[in-house]
Amino acid sequence: MRIEQIQNSLLGESYTEIDHSSGLKIFVMPKAGYSSAYAVFAAKYGSIDTKIPAADGAFREIPEGTAHFLEHKLFESEELGAFERFAKTGASANAYTSFDRTGYLFSCTDNFRKSLEILLDFVQKPYFTEATVAKEQGIIGQEIRMYKDVPDWQVLFNLLRSLYTAHPVRIDIAGTQESIARITAQTLYDCYKNFYNPSNMVLAVAGNANVEDVLEAADKLLQPGDGVKASREFVKEPPEPARNYYEEKLPVNTPQFMLGFKEDIQTPERTTIERLCANILLEIIAGKSSPLYKRLLEAGLINAGFSFEYFEGFGYSCPIFAGESKDPVKAAEEIKNEIRGIKANGIDAAAFARAKRKLYGRLVMMYNDVDELANELASAYFAGNGLFDDIELCKALTLDSVIARLAALFEERYSSLSVIKPL
Amino acid sequence: MSNKPEIREIAPGVRLCSVQTDRFKTGAVSFSMALPLEGDMAANAALPFILHRSCRRYPEFSALNGRLDELYGASLSAGVAKIGESQALTISLTAIDDRFSLAGESVAQNCADLLADLLFDPDLPESVFHEKAVEREKRLLIEKMKSERKDKRVYALQRCEELMCAGEKYALNKYSTREDIESLTGERLYTAWRRALETSLIQAVSVSSGTSAGIAETFGKAFSEIRRSPVRPATAFIKSAKETRKAEEKLPVKQGKLVLGFRAGMDNPLDGTAAARVMTDIYGGGTYSKLFMKVREELSLCYYCSARLNNHKGLLMVQSGIESEKAAEAEAEILRQLDAVKKGDILANEFDASLMSICDHRLSIEDSPAELNSWYTAQIFREDIMTPMEDAADIRAVTLDEVVSRAEKVTLDTVYLLSGNGEAHEDED
Repeated sequence: MRIEQIQNSLLGESYTEIDHSSGLKIFVMPKAGYSSAYAVFAAKYGSIDTKIPAADGAFREIPEGTAHFLEHKLFESEELGAFERFAKTGASANAYTSFDRTGYLFSCTDNFRKSLEILLDFVQKPYFTEATVAKEQGIIGQEIRMYKDVPDWQVLFNLLRSLYTAHPVRIDIAGTQESIARITAQTLYDCYKNFYNPSNMVLAVAGNANVEDVLEAADKLLQPGDGVKASREFVKEPPEPARNYYEEKLPVNTPQFMLGFKEDIQTPERTTIERLCANILLEIIAGKSSPLYKRLLEAGLINAGFSFEYFEGFGYSCPIFAGESKDPVKAAEEIKNEIRGIKANGIDAAAFARAKRKLYGRLVMMYNDVDELANELASAYFAGNGLFDDIELCKALTLDSVIARLAALFEERYSSLSVIKPL
Repeated sequence: MSNKPEIREIAPGVRLCSVQTDRFKTGAVSFSMALPLEGDMAANAALPFILHRSCRRYPEFSALNGRLDELYGASLSAGVAKIGESQALTISLTAIDDRFSLAGESVAQNCADLLADLLFDPDLPESVFHEKAVEREKRLLIEKMKSERKDKRVYALQRCEELMCAGEKYALNKYSTREDIESLTGERLYTAWRRALETSLIQAVSVSSGTSAGIAETFGKAFSEIRRSPVRPATAFIKSAKETRKAEEKLPVKQGKLVLGFRAGMDNPLDGTAAARVMTDIYGGGTYSKLFMKVREELSLCYYCSARLNNHKGLLMVQSGIESEKAAEAEAEILRQLDAVKKGDILANEFDASLMSICDHRLSIEDSPAELNSWYTAQIFREDIMTPMEDAADIRAVTLDEVVSRAEKVTLDTVYLLSGNGEAHEDED
């Protein structure tokens, strides 16, 4: 077992990183003066993991939505369900499945040790039967139906299906009614065995907690794994999107859009610098102090809900602009024009300085929230980074590194527009 | 760790509530003005938004946002909320704490000055708000109103409350109506601004590592030039429902929404609130509640099903997502679970889980500047401000008998169903 203390003097924060003998990576970040603690036990298994190795070594497909389905089912056990167990400690527990991971979590202000033991215990005790799987198919079927009514969700997945032709980021996290109908108890056991191995997982704790408590619980409850990390396939995409435009009609009042630019990537993961530069570029192009934002707002082409993000993960990378607009096509055209202009005329040094200052401030602000910190510890680890990398590298970013990123990220040919129109 | 906030009256009806702590990386100030739910509500609703987009010092929206970027991405937001029958207008500013500024400047003082500029020194080129700015704000507010109703959970809850409280002030939309917003002028906004500064009940909340002396001085100076005659908004309570109304609307949605609106049997915001909260929580709060365990988990009648108490108006609302054809069955089961609470059919572990969970939530409020802010802002009408810790003590003292007796006072007023597969039709706003 290896225990290391990681400190950051700028923030006055530190955390302990532990390589536990079970094979699990553990992070503990105590926060002085906090009453609450937040813990997340996560597996590197998300909706993009659509294949598992078969006995003969080849990969075989598993139904879309299995990671999410498994997350729902793990809350049950042969005896008392996880929710009922947490009810005895006062903690609030939950779970989530994203594109690239599944997390089980709780937050509490009291009984931390007891709650942590419940968390470690139930995640390691899968219990699936054909009867409980059948029942869950009904519940998740409802969830899938509900998301069909949510325009924010539909506009995103329509965009991802437009941008990506092969990569599984294009499939819905919950799967479809048809795909989940193919899930059996055996599918869940197979996926559990493949992905829920301590070497493929992480435990991250932040807030009112200490290393001793976490280690004692870990020593008591963690079962050693076989040390095998689940492999993830780099699905290589063609640079071109599947289509440049897609629209759907839903009961909304104002049309809604998402404009994405697919990056042509040769390696599955982006570096921290690449990620930070992308965020700064988005801020320079469309931040609230930018000329573009002012023009769009004054032309009535966007409203206060306009936003942007750098959307990236294993094998996919795309900056996205999103909003409501009376004329999504025109709004998208304006954004593309602005990017063309910036590419031709260069980046204003003052705009770069402002965007960098803002990014620095927002990174500092993140250190208020124990939930964000624990999840960030987990996600940075899965991506091969350290928690403090972002803020340290942000301080050192140069205008040149940002300019270098501009060409690759915003290739107009590789863009696509997704629109939700009123019925 | 609990910090009792320092409360200061900086002008008549203007209270500064400050929590001093170095737990956080940020300093945050929010400024709320509460007005009765009447009069020129459209102008009031547009006010926080137009104020947070420019000021005399930064008349251009882009310049103001450039200033926020310089202040390390300080986050400025505006909002309108209905607290009982009052319209609460809020502007908040959060920035990194002075300890993290790279050049050693005081971000906190700069933010206090900027907030004062926004509130007290707007850009008024011809003594009223600029027509162009007003036109932009009208559009943005109408789109905001529409956008919020796009979420069918929100839409169904709003429709149920509107139907239930028809004839009461509470039925009014917090942003007023589309027509009223469309008719807004720079003059009406100017009048609303003066009226808010002169007559609204005001509370500023500060959560930061420094003292609030700077804010008290900055705001105190600004208010010394305003003649204050504050009006305290009042809310009418209806203790029990006379009869049960039913309404159904059809929209082309895949999942139906069923909302049950109850009168909670309260006659003021502090009437048995702790017991009413525990009762609501056992009924439909956490994952141990009756609505969750029975209606969702055991019977699979709903995808979600939960109850929430609005103590500012004495309402208890149950919201659920259902398959439309199961609406009657779901409704019957939701009511059956309320009857169980009324009969005292509550297990010791359900009761304990609820107390523990509410208290846990209260204590965790202390770890978030945003939640502390909302916690104290919601108490704008209270004389004696309570900390989350003090409220947790009240919750812990609630007995099972009190819970049952609060449940007995609950009466069903309105059942609203938004069902799927209907014909398309326009939202009325």
